Amino acid sequence: MLIRLIVPGEIARVEDLNTSLEAVLTRHGIDPGARADVRLIVEELASNAIAYGGGDDLDMGQHELSVDISREADLLTLRFRDQGAPFDPLSAQAPDLEADILDRPIGGLGLYLIRQIAESMHYERIDDCNLLRVSLRVPAPEKPR
Amino acid sequence: MSLQIEVLPAGNGSQRVILAGRLDTHSYEDLDVALAPLFNRQAHSLVLDLAGLDYISSAGIRSIFKARKALGEHGGKVLLVNPQARIQKVLDVVKAVPTGEIFASTAEADAYLDAMQRKLSCADQDE
Repeated sequence: MLIRLIVPGEIARVEDLNTSLEAVLTRHGIDPGARADVRLIVEELASNAIAYGGGDDLDMGQHELSVDISREADLLTLRFRDQGAPFDPLSAQAPDLEADILDRPIGGLGLYLIRQIAESMHYERIDDCNLLRVSLRVPAPEKPR
Repeated sequence: MSLQIEVLPAGNGSQRVILAGRLDTHSYEDLDVALAPLFNRQAHSLVLDLAGLDYISSAGIRSIFKARKALGEHGGKVLLVNPQARIQKVLDVVKAVPTGEIFASTAEADAYLDAMQRKLSCADQDE
């Protein structure tokens, strides 16, 4: 594992999470494109978990988000864990991308984006926690600087 | 690094706004607030210059959607200029903007708007 980070489930902390992850990924020579993919995945999943998991409304300290990241060969794997309401992002309905813009609902894009970027995704509900594993393919690491 | 928004003076039925930095869950409300007054002015079109934009997430795309809806209701357009490859990729994945409304340069967007204006004024004369 490269790192595990645990933050309170608050929107304002999502940026802290991403700043820390970015520093670790840079140090491990992960290329900028993959780092940007990770930023997008973390932002979308964390803000979703906070918005729909009851995060910002609950007592702080009750609700935490944990993210760990590991690399094996050309596969980077992120594991998200949160104690919010049960939510399987893989069961979310895909947005209708062909509809006219004026008729299109404004939601549902974030999860759709992640599903397009990710190599694979897997969801489980264990011990009152949502566990989501997201893997993405990354180019061979650059030489560490 | 967050989002920098520069609203240029309006001219000829279109409004140019230059974005730089990150348009995401932390910054989209700033853009919504900056754009809101432009929708009341019955500007025909909004040109978003994205050359300096490094990152966009679904929250940012929703803001562009909202602008397209607000202007689209009275026939206006939102044109995107010079998005970085990565931004273009994200926009393409969710089909955020028709490909005909993304331009490689401001000059190209201006030419498109001029043509649109001419079409509108011809239609007025026909009435």
